[in-house]
Amino acid sequence: MSTLKNHPKHELLVAYAAGSLPMSQALCISIHLEHCPECAKNMYRLNQLGSELMQQLQPAPASPNLKVKLLSLIDQVSINESLVVKVVPQLNIENQSIPRCLRQFIKTKYEDISWNRLSSDIHNYELCRDQNNAKVELLRLKPGGTSGTHSHMGDEYTVILEGSFSDESGIYHQGDFLVRDSRDQHTPVATIDKECICLAVTEAPIQFTGFFSRLLNPLIRRSYA
Amino acid sequence: MVQSKTAAEKITRLKNCIARIASHRDKDAFSILFDHYAPLIRAYSLAREPGSNLIADELAQEVLIRVWLKADSYNAQLSNINTWIFTLARNCRIDYFRRNGRYVSDIDPTEMFNNIEDEEPGPFQLAHQNRLEENIKTGLAKLPREQAEILTKVYLEGKSHQQTSTELKLPLGTVKSRVRLALGKLKVLVTR
Repeated sequence: MSTLKNHPKHELLVAYAAGSLPMSQALCISIHLEHCPECAKNMYRLNQLGSELMQQLQPAPASPNLKVKLLSLIDQVSINESLVVKVVPQLNIENQSIPRCLRQFIKTKYEDISWNRLSSDIHNYELCRDQNNAKVELLRLKPGGTSGTHSHMGDEYTVILEGSFSDESGIYHQGDFLVRDSRDQHTPVATIDKECICLAVTEAPIQFTGFFSRLLNPLIRRSYA
Repeated sequence: MVQSKTAAEKITRLKNCIARIASHRDKDAFSILFDHYAPLIRAYSLAREPGSNLIADELAQEVLIRVWLKADSYNAQLSNINTWIFTLARNCRIDYFRRNGRYVSDIDPTEMFNNIEDEEPGPFQLAHQNRLEENIKTGLAKLPREQAEILTKVYLEGKSHQQTSTELKLPLGTVKSRVRLALGKLKVLVTR
C-alpha cells in the first residue's frame, strides 16, 4: 500500500483531468500518479465525471461531409497500416526506472545525464521550458547534501524520483508531491543513505536567503534568463 | 444518435461497435460510432471555442481516427466507453492547441496521460464501476446550479480556477470551495 503523505490538492487533480493544467505541472502530477494508487483512483473518477459532463452537452450535429471525409480517411490509414511492418517498440531496459512521461527527455539512466554542477552538493539538468517560461529541471542532491535555504518568487512544484529528503516541514519519499509558494522558505537536505533526485518546476527564479548561498542569486538568475 | 430503449443497451451497442472495429475493421460499426460521438465531441470543442466549427470538426476527426486505430487497445471490461472517448477528446484537444502554438510547451503530452488510461484502473470490478458511474450521474442531476456551472467551466470550457473566478466575478476561494463541495457530493474523491 502507498505510504505517500504528500499529494496534489484536489484542484490540481481536477485541472489535470480537465486538461487545463500547464504541461509542466501535469508532468509532476503524472509522476505522482504512477506512485500513488489513491490519487490514481481519484483521477479515474475525475475522468468519469468529465465524461458525464460531456454527455450532458447539447449535441452539435456534424455535417454529412465530415462523415464522408472520415470514412475515406480510415480507408487510407488502413492501407497504410497494412503496408507498414509492425515495429515492436524496443523495450529499453535502461530507462525502466524512469517515469514514463519523462522518457521523452531521458533515454537511459539518471547517471548518464550530463549533469550541471551548481555546488558541491547539488547538480541540475534542465529538461525544457513550459508556458510562462516555467523551468522544468531535474535536481540531484548528494547524500546528506543540501540545496541551501531558499525561498521562491513563484510557485515551485517538486516530485521525488529517487531517494528522499527532508526540510523544516517533514521528510519526503519517492512519489511525494510538494508545492512551495513564495511565502515558503525552506532548507531541503537529502537523507544520508542515498542521493536524492527530484523533478522541479519553478515558475520564477528561486531566491537564496542564507548568507553564503545568497551569493548564488545572481548566478541563478542568469541561468534562468 | 443511437436509438435504443435504455442507456445501458445503448452503451452495450456502442461497446459492441468498438469490438467489431477491433476484430474486423467494420466500417458500419465505425459509422454508428460516428453518428453517436461526433456531435458530442463537436459540442465539447464548441464549449471551449464557441463558433469555431472548423476546430470542432478537426477535433471530432482526430478523436474518431484514434478510435479506429486504437479500438483493439480498448478494454471493455475495465473502462467505460464514454470515459474512454472523453479522455481521447481531452488529449486530442491538448495536442491540437500545442501543435497550433496556443500552448507554448516542449512537453509531449502523449505519454503523460497514457499511463493512466491504458492500464487497469486497479481493483475495479465492473459492478463497482457502474455504481460509481450511477453516483456521479444522479449526483450531477441534484447538484445546485452554481456548483454545476463551475464544473462545466472547469471541465468543458477548460478554464482554470482563476479564470473561472474572474469570469463569474467570484472570489477564488469561493470557486475552489464550490468545486470541493461538488466533488464531495458526487463522491468522486477518496477521503484521506
